[in-house]
Amino acid sequence: MTGAASQPGSLWQPAAAMAAPFLAALAMAGVLLTVAGHNPFDVYGLLAVESFGSVKRITATLAAATPLMLTGLAIAVAFRAGVFNVGVEGCVYVGGLAAAFVGFTCTALPAAVLLPSSLAASLVAGSLWMLIPGVLKARLGVDEVVTTLMFNFIAISLAAYLVNGPLLAPGSANSATPMVAEAARLPRLAPPSTLNAGFLIAIALLVLYGLWGRHAALGFETRLAGLNARFAAASGISVPVLVVKMMLLSGAIGGLAGAVHALGNVGRFVTGFSPGYGFTGIAVALLGRNSAVGIFLAALFFGALATAGATIQLFSDVPIEIVSVVQGMVMIFAVAQFGWPWLRRRIAS
Amino acid sequence: MIDHVIHAAVLMTTPVLLAALGGLVNRIAGLVNIGLDSMMLAGALVGLIVAAYTGNWMAALAAAAVAGGVLGFLMSLAITRLNANEIIVGLGFTIAVAGLVRFFLKSAYGSSGTLSLPDVAQLPRITIPVVADIPVVGAVLSGHDPLTWAAWLMVPLTVWFLARTRTGLRLRAAGGAPQAARALGLDPLALRDASTVYAGLMAGLGGAYLSIGVVGIFNEGITAGRGFIALAAFYFGNNGPWPTALCALLFGLFDALQIRLQGHGVPTEIVQTLPYVMVVVVLTAMAHAVRRRRAKGG
Repeated sequence: MTGAASQPGSLWQPAAAMAAPFLAALAMAGVLLTVAGHNPFDVYGLLAVESFGSVKRITATLAAATPLMLTGLAIAVAFRAGVFNVGVEGCVYVGGLAAAFVGFTCTALPAAVLLPSSLAASLVAGSLWMLIPGVLKARLGVDEVVTTLMFNFIAISLAAYLVNGPLLAPGSANSATPMVAEAARLPRLAPPSTLNAGFLIAIALLVLYGLWGRHAALGFETRLAGLNARFAAASGISVPVLVVKMMLLSGAIGGLAGAVHALGNVGRFVTGFSPGYGFTGIAVALLGRNSAVGIFLAALFFGALATAGATIQLFSDVPIEIVSVVQGMVMIFAVAQFGWPWLRRRIAS
Repeated sequence: MIDHVIHAAVLMTTPVLLAALGGLVNRIAGLVNIGLDSMMLAGALVGLIVAAYTGNWMAALAAAAVAGGVLGFLMSLAITRLNANEIIVGLGFTIAVAGLVRFFLKSAYGSSGTLSLPDVAQLPRITIPVVADIPVVGAVLSGHDPLTWAAWLMVPLTVWFLARTRTGLRLRAAGGAPQAARALGLDPLALRDASTVYAGLMAGLGGAYLSIGVVGIFNEGITAGRGFIALAAFYFGNNGPWPTALCALLFGLFDALQIRLQGHGVPTEIVQTLPYVMVVVVLTAMAHAVRRRRAKGG
């Protein structure tokens, strides 16, 4: 479970480590595109133009990257403590639902109260959702990968139940809650685009995370516990308490990602709420090697793929699914060590 | 009505049982297979296409098994030879294969998510003459296809294989004590690869069962997370083939009841969470028991 532990080293090493899985995945997807009768260079050129070609496209990319920065951060925070939280997808669901619930029930409140309460609701819901897996891991050593994975399915089904029953918008046939009050919506930064204040929240949290990891005692302890739990315990750190704390923090950030999606993009909670933000977040955290800058760049890449993938489907006959293929392969290549042990041994000798 | 539920429960158990038995052997050899669902999906698609073009269900099953096995082999190589984390590779396969399947459907058939082909050879049903007319017993034993019978036959075979055969013992050594296995001249990585290929074969068959055994069409959501239910089943069964099969049967029963209860005021979404809740409860109980035993012993 230590595949994502970052190693301090020279500058080119993390850069190469980040670029290599991308290039490998793009090469594999290129073969697939060629077989399907497309020119991969044309497709990638179009993807680049559609994601970074104009101010409008850049804002769209940033908007798509926002939830991924948060889910990537949520996973990185847990990774750092040596906990593999696969359950962020579930947190996105419960957090999004909680934020939307506050947003469409307490409509009498002014924006200055309603928006913060909605966001707070998502933080509480997300962290409570991770309480059971966190405590089970810390107290009984129950494998958190299995419990958090199971919790995803539970969250998705429970949310579907609530949206189809008690919380279904009156007069609505499709499974969705009522729209949240205008006062609960995250303000848009560049009006026609969906880029919203959630982006600023994500950037602020990434900066805080970078500072926290380097300068705060808890950040150091977490890193220590992640690298070597027995050594951390011997130095007087209570690893179980730390594990629970980091799981709650991870859940809270995952919940916030749901709130940003609900209050910034969708305006309510619907079934099939998240397009796998929690799972893409794993790829983001892995590729970003748990660093704040790395998470930002990796989220930007996946955001670009998602937004450009949707538009190239309109202009060409390349299916958008190529994006999922690239994403899955990036995950695989990010943890595969092609000749690296051999290379490391050579550098060492 | 009870006969219908029993029949549907047996039907819905088969795909989970097949994948779970494969994942169980995989786990015993030392690899937790998170990618079972992707192998089921590939098996479901390949099975349907071959069933339509050859008109032969046996060829379709073989092709589906090969598709799952190839994916299992690739996944295993990434884990055993490139030291990749099994959980991340498994999730990566889940995402990549889902994308590949939809990419293929759009590119080759111009359809989004669903594939319906003419002349699909479906699995035959075996009706046992006298037994079929007995209530309950008839629903349990009669009217099922060969793959269901094969899946249940695999349960005692897996017990026997793991406990009594040379390869079974070697697989257990590769998972339980890889260093010792290597010292004895075995190749734990190769054994692990073989077990993952086997898990892929079984999951591929489970997937084909969904497409040509149950409905006769393919849909991108056809597995409905059954690969993860299979994972839940062998975790629940704690590596025992019989408890795992029992758990698969329980999940099949939930599946059947849920279809029955639709529109009767019982929220089906709540029923859907039960398998997953059960796994968390059982893992907790097991960890608690281990802790208590240790506290007594020490």
